[in-house]
Amino acid sequence: MKSLRRDFSSDPQTANVTSKIFVRSTKSGKVQKIVRELYLRQDIPCSSKLCSVCPTVAPADANGKIAPFVLSEHPAGTTAFPRGHYLVPDTNALLNGMDLFEHTGAFYDVIILQTVLEELKNQSLPLYNRLLALIKTDEKRFYLFFNEFRMETHVRRGPEESINDRNDRAVRAVAKWYTQHLQASSKKGKKEKALPTIVVITDDKDSLRKAKEEDVTALSLSDYVAGLEDSDRLLDMINESREARGAKGARGELFYPEYFTMSKIMTGLRAGTLHQGVFNVSPYNYLEGLVNVAAFDKPLLILGRDNSNRAISGDVVVIEVLPKEQWKSPSTKIVDEEAVTKNDNPDAEDSEAVVTERERKALQEEVRQAHGKSTEGRPQPTAKVVGMIKRNWRQYVGHVDSGSTGSQASAGRRQQTVFVLPMDKRVPKIRVRTRQAAELLGQRILVTIDAWDRDSRYPTGHFIRSLGELETKGAETEALLLEYDVQYKPFPKAVLDCLPSEGHDWRVPATKEDVGWRGRRDLRDLLICSIDPPGCQDIDDALHARPLPNGNFEVGVHIADVSHFVKPNNAMDLEASVRGTTVYLVDKRIDMLPHLLGTDLCSLKPYVERYAFSVLWEMTPNAEVVSTDFTKSVIRSREAFSYEQAQKRIDDSSKKDELTESMRTLLKFSKILRQKRMDAGALNLASPEVRIETDNDEVGDPLTDVKTKAMLATNSLVEEFMLHANITVAAKIYDTFSQTAMLRRHATPPPQNFEELSNQLAKKRDMRIDVSSSRALADSLDQCVDDKNPFFNTLVRILATRCMTSAEYFCAGAHAESEFRHYGLASPIYTHFTSPIRRYADLLVHRQLASAIGYEGEDGRASVEGVMTRNRLEDICRNINNRHRNAQHAGRASIEYYVGQALKARGEKLSANGVDGGIEEDGYVMRVFENGVVVFVPRFGIEGVVRLEDFVLQGDSSLRSVAERRELVVRRESDFDNEEYTLKVSDKGQPDRGMGVELFQRVKVNVSSVKEESGRGAGKRRVRVLILGAQK
Amino acid sequence: MAAQRQASSASQTPHISPAELSYLYTSLALPGSPIRPDGRSPTQFRPLTAETDILPGTNGSARVGFADGTQAIVGVKAEVEKTVVTADALKLPQQAKDDYAGNEDGDGNQGSSTGHGSWVQMSIEIPGFRDDDALPVFLSEMMREPLVESVSNGGSGNDEMAGGLKKRLVINKRWHWRLYIDVLLLSQPQSYPLPLLSLTTHLALLSTRLPKLKSKGEEDPFFDDDWGAAEYIYPRALKSKSHLSPSHQVRPPVTLLVISVGENVIFDPSREEIAVADTVLAVSVARDSDSDTLKLLSMRTIDPPSRLTQPGVANSENVATLGSTAAAEEAAILNPSTGEEEVPGVWRPRRGGVKRSTIARMVKLVLQKGGVGEEVLEGLEGVEVG
Repeated sequence: MKSLRRDFSSDPQTANVTSKIFVRSTKSGKVQKIVRELYLRQDIPCSSKLCSVCPTVAPADANGKIAPFVLSEHPAGTTAFPRGHYLVPDTNALLNGMDLFEHTGAFYDVIILQTVLEELKNQSLPLYNRLLALIKTDEKRFYLFFNEFRMETHVRRGPEESINDRNDRAVRAVAKWYTQHLQASSKKGKKEKALPTIVVITDDKDSLRKAKEEDVTALSLSDYVAGLEDSDRLLDMINESREARGAKGARGELFYPEYFTMSKIMTGLRAGTLHQGVFNVSPYNYLEGLVNVAAFDKPLLILGRDNSNRAISGDVVVIEVLPKEQWKSPSTKIVDEEAVTKNDNPDAEDSEAVVTERERKALQEEVRQAHGKSTEGRPQPTAKVVGMIKRNWRQYVGHVDSGSTGSQASAGRRQQTVFVLPMDKRVPKIRVRTRQAAELLGQRILVTIDAWDRDSRYPTGHFIRSLGELETKGAETEALLLEYDVQYKPFPKAVLDCLPSEGHDWRVPATKEDVGWRGRRDLRDLLICSIDPPGCQDIDDALHARPLPNGNFEVGVHIADVSHFVKPNNAMDLEASVRGTTVYLVDKRIDMLPHLLGTDLCSLKPYVERYAFSVLWEMTPNAEVVSTDFTKSVIRSREAFSYEQAQKRIDDSSKKDELTESMRTLLKFSKILRQKRMDAGALNLASPEVRIETDNDEVGDPLTDVKTKAMLATNSLVEEFMLHANITVAAKIYDTFSQTAMLRRHATPPPQNFEELSNQLAKKRDMRIDVSSSRALADSLDQCVDDKNPFFNTLVRILATRCMTSAEYFCAGAHAESEFRHYGLASPIYTHFTSPIRRYADLLVHRQLASAIGYEGEDGRASVEGVMTRNRLEDICRNINNRHRNAQHAGRASIEYYVGQALKARGEKLSANGVDGGIEEDGYVMRVFENGVVVFVPRFGIEGVVRLEDFVLQGDSSLRSVAERRELVVRRESDFDNEEYTLKVSDKGQPDRGMGVELFQRVKVNVSSVKEESGRGAGKRRVRVLILGAQK
Repeated sequence: MAAQRQASSASQTPHISPAELSYLYTSLALPGSPIRPDGRSPTQFRPLTAETDILPGTNGSARVGFADGTQAIVGVKAEVEKTVVTADALKLPQQAKDDYAGNEDGDGNQGSSTGHGSWVQMSIEIPGFRDDDALPVFLSEMMREPLVESVSNGGSGNDEMAGGLKKRLVINKRWHWRLYIDVLLLSQPQSYPLPLLSLTTHLALLSTRLPKLKSKGEEDPFFDDDWGAAEYIYPRALKSKSHLSPSHQVRPPVTLLVISVGENVIFDPSREEIAVADTVLAVSVARDSDSDTLKLLSMRTIDPPSRLTQPGVANSENVATLGSTAAAEEAAILNPSTGEEEVPGVWRPRRGGVKRSTIARMVKLVLQKGGVGEEVLEGLEGVEVG
């Protein structure tokens, strides 16, 4: 018997056909063998401007043009490669040094292989996206070479060859081919002498060795960087983890348990024994995390470093519930990482245990508490992290822990390991190796986490760049923006190109025959005015009201017609959809739309004609809506008032003009509308907001800039009509787009969210809050009044607000209609329509409404612009919900920072004997812990943690320095009653001289800004709150 | 339609006249040295060409072509499937604690640990036949049976295949592989296609690979996405053990077609030879991994088509030749398979039935050291796989 195998080698057709085979596992558990055929080509260009052959063969697009060549004729040289060089990095080089490749000082003319790009995509999606962005930019000259499709550079996997080896071989094959190709094809006269070297960057020792054998120039990333200028700084930017792994591989001590295998995780998740959720760390206790999982109503508790097993706040983790005897109650202590672990030495890894004695003690306290009997102290189910679904690591802003640099700080440019304390307290400190420790001290720096291995107690990361000196305005503002992921880079040119070419000279067309007037109603003769905060430039909305002959009134809300200027899917629209919202910081505004639109062309400025989108109602004198009308319009605002000006004008009885009368009508109607809303059960919520007016001069007390927000009747005038317009529009667009309408909902909070607050209220004030409906809640909140303590009600409202879920944008198809409800506003349906200049959602709603009313626009396309697929819309919703939240946090953080700065400035001006006396204010106890309380100071809108040593007992001098206070720690003792929410603080052995505080109590506090002088994070400024005494 | 009706028997009967049949029979039945129409020796196979891994989308595949132009392609696909465990089996672990006598319930559990024959599905497509015709159904069952029932008794380092193919398909208690073996005959069957299909299936299974399992124990299965890491379903001898001859590997069984004509035993019969066979036997053999000898897995008789042939008419009974019958009648002997008197040179359809000793001889010829079975398996081992 004879066997015959067909021989393909003689077939000329087989050389350019090959296939790729892999196994794919589908979600349903099916396993498929996938075969992809690959047709190799010879016309993929090398993209070097030196080449004379490729331009003639490169494939052309539909217009007969070939893609411009990327790689420079005169690539930069280094000492090692004086003739210039092209870089060919392998996947590991990119994984380890993406920050380097993004660096503008070096790394030009880089050939990125398709092989490498695909491998990178599998290993790290964020890095892949960053690399794509790099390839897109022109200035860095990155060229994506499709080596797998080019016949000469395609590499077939040999028998017994691992994928990695094969890919490394592909990289070398490309380098070889480029060298030969350029030699053969470079333009005459350039031969030999000036040809750039092709340099392979790889950290793989085996690959380096093979490259040497094959006569390919190859260097490891660090060797290459060492040959560049400024190498010290660049070397710091190499990913730490991978480099270090080789060095310490053998050292066996593992601090953390291993994660389950993926298959074990999937089995567990499917079987319901494991759960998946986002890991959230408590802001008060870095050792305590919560994970919300779908299976349970309440989040599961994760206590301690062992159980959180290398998870960092924000990661998507898989958890396993611990046995019941390990259930604990949540901590009643404030645990600050800096304080507990300040003595850790970043280098001394050998001796360290995962849980230090001190940490263990901190945990023991909690175990003890777990055995309490009240609802508060009842043990809660705890869990431990057993797997990682997705790391959500980002870049973190922080500063170098001065303690960790120690004596070495002066040791010059030697590489050393330091700790970086992230600004976000929920993120553990990051171990960073750097050669510039000395320079980085006292700087705000940006670092990233590379890895957290089982044998390392803290995550390792590397330095990216410095933002500037700590506490300088520029550095701190940038830090804020980075921390909250605010897009603050200037608008790119492509976006600015979308602006009207007339610039500031743009005018509403004079003749009504112009296309701009098509479908617009002329409302220029209406007496429209706008009411906004003082100094407002981006005026979104304006109002009018006028009596009708039939005794009813016409009321109009006019919104800036942004959708006229921002056309769907152009660069400006995409940029706006990414930014999602304008971010307001104390001294800075990060716009969603370019300045020209936001503050001029769209802004409904007074005295000029502007395009608007108007909602017009006919209302009876009792504010019953008779009919509603939506129209695009042209308006001319008569006046732009600030809230105060408007209030004065209304109150001024001497004014009898029509504009004032119309404002009075509006005010009257707004009061009726408000009452109706309240009757329906709308909540009057409170947030601890202060406003900062920065236009004050330098003299006097800087703190006068800090103002609590005053609520005038005119504020609520505007607010009511905006709400009313939003609700009206929401109903209209939902009517037209039942699946894709862009709406906003506020989910009814689950009653258990209020459990703690209602316990506290019942205990301390004998008050009840009823959470059965928003109406009931609103009523019961109204009952929570303390005659002696006028702020008490606001405090309860603040706390109640925190128990609720946050409102979110959604697209109508995503929820059942019964779920559309906006809980806080007690409205069955709601959207955002009134601020298109600063919110992207409103812009979308404008388009949908225009489409719904059949407005065609200048080019007749407006009627289809509002139509969108649900998928795309859901993506947008996810993004803007996220941006919205970040913008709020950034704004708050900015105010907090400003308050701190104001306190500091005041302290410097008014300090006595070099010690900042601080300022005395009223504060309210918001939370009671075992070793401190959280006090809310309404005057500055800040919450301060007051530790035991910060209680000023009788006989203490309040002007003690931080260092002196610290010594007090050991002497202080506390008596904490978890069920009564009281804390009694005294010096040891002197219980009679103690001070007791309890929840909701009004206390006298001293607020000052102090700089840490020793220990952890020296140079870091914080607001210190001292409790001086109780006020009844 | 006639051909369709006969499909259940060994093959369509070729249109051969009774005289030719008789001639063929006499040649093949020559004691000691049968003369085959194509001049082969009784144990000689027709030349064939074979190649494997011809269908990239399958887990394993093979093509075999006989010199007479018949060709078959076999593709093997594997799919992960959840094992249905009976309620009894689920309870079993708990029962076992307090009730050791509860052995009767063991059946359901057995399926999950030792595999189940139904996990191998075979479908055969032959041009001109519907898939529910008797021939494809019968053929597939005939080939599937030895495949799933062949169980080596462990030992000799091949633990993986200890439970045979069906044990090999067990991933864990809750999951298993299901094999789909699709057999495609590309040409009209020139002869009974069983040997061709069996050899092709054998080669296809040899080249069949399953993705490498990454999960462990009772976890939901999770596989390596590198096809290069996939493992052969019939494991290869490792390179390091090269001193072992490749025949030590466990291999799927082959089914051989054997006929007897008179006292002679003939292998790989052509269509004409089958037409006159007294008996047609399908013998499945596999190598016994313990003793390095062949073992018999199954044996089936196949309805010989000779039964359906037209009988010849003896001169003595022929009206046209009535005069000259005397000599012929004298020569009449009793034929054992027709059970009646036979006139030499006059064809009588066979009625089936075979002597015990003939079957014994057939089996011996297949199984003996250096016998046909070994020859075939060695030939197949010569085909480069993978």
